[in-house]
Amino acid sequence: MTVLPQGREISRRRLIQFGAAAGFLLGTGSLAGCAGPTGLPGPSTLTLALNRSLVSLDNKLNQFDAAVTVQRSVRQGLTAIGPETEPILVLAERFEMTAPTEWTVTLREGIRYSDGSPVKIEDVATALKMYQQVQGSFVAGFFPEFPQVVPVDERTFKMVSKKPVPILDSLMSMILITPAAQNKPEELQDGVGTGPYVVTKFNRGAGTYSLARNENYWGPKPGIENVEVRFLPEESSRVIALRSGEVDIIDSITPDSREQLAGLPGVQLKEASSLRLNQIFYNFRKPAGHPLADVRVREALSWAIDGEALVKDVLVDSVSAAEGVTPGSLTGYHKTGTYTYDPEKAKARLAELGVEDLTLKIIWETGEFASDTSVMEALVEMFGNIGVKTELQQFEPGGNILAWRQGKQGDWDLLGNGFSSPTGLAITMMQGMYAGTPEKEATRDTYQGYVFPEVQAKIQAASSEVDPTKRQELLAQAQQAIWDTWPCAWAFVPKSVLAQRDRVSGVNLAPTNSYPLVDARLEA
Amino acid sequence: MTNYILKRLGQGLLTVFLTVSTVFILIRMAPGDPAVSYAGPLATTEQLDAVREQFGLNKPVLEQYWIFLQQLFTGNLGQSYSFQAPAMVVVAERMPYTLTLATAAILLTAVVAIPLGVWMSRRPDTGREFGVNVLTIAGQSMPDFWTGIMLLTGFAVLIPIFPASGFATWGGLVLPTITIAILQIALISRMVRREMTANFAAPYLTVARSRGVRNSMLTWRYAMGNSAIPVFTALGTRFAAMLNGVVVVEVVFAWPGVGSLIVRALETRDYPLIQATVLLTALLAVGVQLLIDLAYPLLDPRVRLGKAATA
Repeated sequence: MTVLPQGREISRRRLIQFGAAAGFLLGTGSLAGCAGPTGLPGPSTLTLALNRSLVSLDNKLNQFDAAVTVQRSVRQGLTAIGPETEPILVLAERFEMTAPTEWTVTLREGIRYSDGSPVKIEDVATALKMYQQVQGSFVAGFFPEFPQVVPVDERTFKMVSKKPVPILDSLMSMILITPAAQNKPEELQDGVGTGPYVVTKFNRGAGTYSLARNENYWGPKPGIENVEVRFLPEESSRVIALRSGEVDIIDSITPDSREQLAGLPGVQLKEASSLRLNQIFYNFRKPAGHPLADVRVREALSWAIDGEALVKDVLVDSVSAAEGVTPGSLTGYHKTGTYTYDPEKAKARLAELGVEDLTLKIIWETGEFASDTSVMEALVEMFGNIGVKTELQQFEPGGNILAWRQGKQGDWDLLGNGFSSPTGLAITMMQGMYAGTPEKEATRDTYQGYVFPEVQAKIQAASSEVDPTKRQELLAQAQQAIWDTWPCAWAFVPKSVLAQRDRVSGVNLAPTNSYPLVDARLEA
Repeated sequence: MTNYILKRLGQGLLTVFLTVSTVFILIRMAPGDPAVSYAGPLATTEQLDAVREQFGLNKPVLEQYWIFLQQLFTGNLGQSYSFQAPAMVVVAERMPYTLTLATAAILLTAVVAIPLGVWMSRRPDTGREFGVNVLTIAGQSMPDFWTGIMLLTGFAVLIPIFPASGFATWGGLVLPTITIAILQIALISRMVRREMTANFAAPYLTVARSRGVRNSMLTWRYAMGNSAIPVFTALGTRFAAMLNGVVVVEVVFAWPGVGSLIVRALETRDYPLIQATVLLTALLAVGVQLLIDLAYPLLDPRVRLGKAATA
């Protein structure tokens, strides 16, 4: 056998190894060089990371939390929901009810779109039509009827309805104004708006948007030149991106992430009450004679739930227990009572009512609220303490929980669910949840079968009352009537939580879980 | 050769057709309603019916399938429900990101795994080989979401030299590429080692060695030459699989590729988007497989495409 000359071979191999190592180091070094500084936002750029993909800057189909922040920085409405959930004027300088079925509106003088064209009354009329025509619009559902726009002069018009719509100023906050010629009965993918920013670049598929200051903006000049909007669906990725300084603001963070970020250098947390009520809602489609059809049983079951422990230990103070049938932040809210924890009393009451061997099936969709599974597991324990068995059924997003909720797939007893009022009004939530009628129930379009004609009549009366004082009285009566039916075993109001880097200021988180970008500033 | 290519093209197109047809049926059998995802859980029955009519979801499945076939042959798979844009356009916007990541990951895998496998095969039963072997087993065992989070914490937060997410700069490619490549390197290097070890023990190599052929020639020309086809096939197959989206890595690194897109499409039951994603990724995967087949004669001159092997 021929012996190969090893010495020369080894030295060549060593050379190759050395070359490979050097190449690796050089390659990594140059990549790191290009990654480091350019991966961070520049001194005049604010970077936001959203938890859901912003597929457009229109809200006909899509309006959620921080999306509102971005949408409203490009397109605006006649009004907006202010920090105290009251309507504030934006494109309108006057928005007044001048008769029970008539509102008079005057557009601000000199307002223009980012392309310099003026905002016209025709744009408002067209926007109303487009929102009305689009299929699947969540906005349309909040309007009892769409008013007619009747021009008075170049800037003034009347909005006329058949019946009184006393909350029209709040409802109009959801109608974003676009030039009439560009508006369509669908979610607009491009086009101009009147907001403080304009879109310079976007990738709809990736959910990224680049915004630049609108030089034609009618209001105070925005403090930040550029805004980058990114879509980071995974919460751990958003937290890491914030910690690394790659993004400046992340919103809608869970209690776990809040704990992780609290006290970290360079990071600040902001909290606000929210417009959302999360509930453990009873199934109101139970036949007469079923324990849950008895209000006394529903009330007794609520005594089994240790709300304080859920708030402190499971939800780590990221929520507050509800003290009514709507969140306290809503305009028109009325405090109706508190949930009491008394398992002994619950056991005694159930025994007194002859309720034995009760098994409750609880259903919910994953992600309906933060720490949903932990809450449900705690409920199993709490109901178990009063001798009530429980069965949990969790649905994945996109699954068929709606069919279950409507009772078309199977029976259940309690539903973990959340409901928001984007108008900032208690009446919106009350109409959506508690104003069920037998007609609506025929098609299973009530909220979990909740049909109480006396409650519905009170809500109806409140919603059409034009006098604000009387309306508040009627709202209070309606909310008390709802509370007395014990619709929920427990309910809580989540806090909106946002985390931001220290270099950002002027972020005023509102109960809508959004903030005006125009007020934000970056440290020099 | 031409006949072979045409035959393989035909087989590939049939595979794509059967794949998209199967997906068409399966997604309609799965629970969930696109109309609910589109209009929200609080939509009324009337609103849901209107949405179903708008999207043609109220038509019998066979009729929907016929419409789908017509769209398939025109290359227009309809509007994505959630993006309100042509589904093919939405997927096409994402595809370059996935292609970039998959290409970077497979290149890094090839560059590291082949020399590593050869190195291991040249040092059987040594302490160093054992150490590297343990590392490759560890690489195979680590779930990529864990690897990704560790890399992110290490190199985006503690030593912030790489971006944590997205693809705003080329540096953003580094961590996701390494995350994917760690598993692939572990698998491919062990495969190379196995193939090379078998070839080193083969009689033809003993003969070549006895004829005084240099060691480097024995390793790279003889043994590697004969190991090339299975290794190349494995790399190609891995690459084709990555084109379907590296879902976990894309989610961890917020990589805007088709993997995260299809997760979203499935969650919202966005049928046109699911179908478009499957169509495009299946076409690419079939194309890659065809290219691999066409490359065989280059790797081994004994291979004659389209001809039966003779004894």
